[in-house]
Amino acid sequence: MNIRLKNLEKKFYKKPVLNIENLEFTKGLTCIMGSNGSGKSTLLNIISGNLNYENGQVLYNDKPFTKDIYSSMTLVEQKPYMLSRSVYDNVAYPLRIRRYTNREVHTKVEEILQNLQITELKKNRGDELSGGEIQKVALARALVFSPKLLMLDESTSNMDKKSLENVERIIRNYAQMGNTVLFVTHDLNQAKSLTENIVNLQEV
Amino acid sequence: MKTKLSQIVIAIMILLSVNIYAKTESKNETILLSTTTSTRDSGLLDYILDDFTKKTGITVKVVAVGTGKALQMGIDGEADVLLVHAKASEEKFVADGYGTQRFDVMYNDFIFVGPKSDPANIKKLAPNNTKLGLKLIEESKSKFVSRGDDSGTNKKEISLWKDAGINADKQRFYISAGKGMGDVLTMASEMEAYTITDRATYLSMRDKLELDIVLENDNNLFNQYGVIPVNPKTNSLINSDGATKFKDWILSKETQKLISTFGVEKFGMPLFTPNDK
Amino acid sequence: MDYIANGFLKALNLIVSMDMELYKIIALSIFVSVSGTLISALFSIPLAIFLGLRNFYLKKVYTRLLYTFMSTPSVLVGLLVALFLSRRGPFGWMQLMYTPAAMIIAQFVLVTPLMTGLVFNIVNKRGKLIEKTGRLLGARGIDLLILIIRELKVEITMALLTSFSRAISEVGAVMIVGGNIKGHTRVITTSIVMFNSMGDYEIAIALGLILLLISLLMNSILYGFKGDRQ
Repeated sequence: MNIRLKNLEKKFYKKPVLNIENLEFTKGLTCIMGSNGSGKSTLLNIISGNLNYENGQVLYNDKPFTKDIYSSMTLVEQKPYMLSRSVYDNVAYPLRIRRYTNREVHTKVEEILQNLQITELKKNRGDELSGGEIQKVALARALVFSPKLLMLDESTSNMDKKSLENVERIIRNYAQMGNTVLFVTHDLNQAKSLTENIVNLQEV
Repeated sequence: MKTKLSQIVIAIMILLSVNIYAKTESKNETILLSTTTSTRDSGLLDYILDDFTKKTGITVKVVAVGTGKALQMGIDGEADVLLVHAKASEEKFVADGYGTQRFDVMYNDFIFVGPKSDPANIKKLAPNNTKLGLKLIEESKSKFVSRGDDSGTNKKEISLWKDAGINADKQRFYISAGKGMGDVLTMASEMEAYTITDRATYLSMRDKLELDIVLENDNNLFNQYGVIPVNPKTNSLINSDGATKFKDWILSKETQKLISTFGVEKFGMPLFTPNDK
Repeated sequence: MDYIANGFLKALNLIVSMDMELYKIIALSIFVSVSGTLISALFSIPLAIFLGLRNFYLKKVYTRLLYTFMSTPSVLVGLLVALFLSRRGPFGWMQLMYTPAAMIIAQFVLVTPLMTGLVFNIVNKRGKLIEKTGRLLGARGIDLLILIIRELKVEITMALLTSFSRAISEVGAVMIVGGNIKGHTRVITTSIVMFNSMGDYEIAIALGLILLLISLLMNSILYGFKGDRQ
């Protein structure tokens, strides 16, 4: 999916927090960097349709926001909210509301849990996990319905080193499969190791 | 586990109550009888109404209120038939066109009751003299509890004070309760006060009260009950047919006889005397 | 003092004696209050979720108003409902006055602000996060509503039980619109008032004990739920 921002302007209580003249994200992995308060999270929230803006335009494949786009993208935040049910049911949730059959749900969920190496967590309750575990489950819950646009907002910050290697590999693969991945991170080394596409946001 | 168990208990409770409710809520024809608390609280209606339902298939819904409210319900067309005791108001009610006709049903009498110690000494000085009795209460500054609810008893009491030439309602000994007969008797018992009551309610509650009869059998303590079918013109929803059946039934020989037997077993005397003509 | 002890003994006797009149009163109480609460839930829970999630003009003023209505005296509710349902009133043709249906309506009116207020409070605190999570995963409309209810089910159940307790223990509204008619609209609270005025303390105590028992059951469920969460 192709995302184009034109003259995008966002203010909080009359104070401008985002001002982008022209920016385009294409297929593949893009890392977004910038100091605290440069509006990285704000940007992702706007693209994901969770925040409105004063001026400008956000175009998805050159079209405005529609229902189809809505259900083919997602955003994983730094501290995602876990539904108060099992890890399995958390990951299955996006498939169930898309009315997949139980068999399809089962196959897809088991596969993604295995990929992220969290199969042994599947019976644990979503609201009883550690920070790193939550981030992995949230990632699984996002990847399971294969969104064309995947946005990650410091989504790996609490993971241990071993998990991180695996997760980075998965993210890279996912981007190479023709999906658009926007990854907000603080860590320049991580960004460099992941991609050459790095966008630096300046404070307004 | 605990939650599961209590959920089951609740589910059973709800099912049971719906079940019992469905069984009791009959689809029968009903009439709404507006009456005074004394007929219900004395147990008379429970005693005689089954017979009516058996004979006519009509269920009687009894709303027990003060006579004032009962008459108002008739004026508003909220009730189908009235069984009340304030003859003057009832006759005005019929004359104003709210009721079709009024019939005497039965009577009982009012009595004055008071604490066993009888501080106003009524039992000795005025056992059958209302005017004197009320004067004694005023002079001794003994407490008196009034219904204060515009009921038939209340109306009767106010007229008695007036006849005795006493302006009671502004005085300190006079307590206006705004409650039904049973409540007022309980209050009088607790406060060691005098009050006026119908004999039926007093007798049915006598065991639970610390009150004795101090004044009775005066000519003006007569308490006449009347039945009035509400004029169907006051409201289109009135079950006039059922009301007429109720009037005919309560005036019938058999019912009148039934009324005269109520209370005999328990108190050795009837609580209501039918107006058998 | 004797009559209190005696009252309790006779009350216990009555409770286990299968006295049909007593059971009818209890059954109607539960039936009326459960119906009133559940019908109110169908209405208040979606409304509270909608209000809790949205920001709208003068939200704070409306919230204040809602909290005021939460503690409306039940007699006032009874009076208002009676005005509408009595034969002369706008809904008189439905002939609902002095029926269990009227009592259910009165209790519906009584607990709806309470339940809406309680659920609104919960949704205001935790709802937005759940809503955002649901939206990000693709939920919309009814799916979103179900998600929020499921996520907050413990708190919503507590609000439901609180509302039920208020409904079953109130006397003012059901007395006015029900009329305490024997076998038709006589419930636990109105009977207690009546039997007290008749001096029949035993049955009044028996009914009081049962009301207490129902409260106890409600409370143990509430604690059960809280225990589950820890």
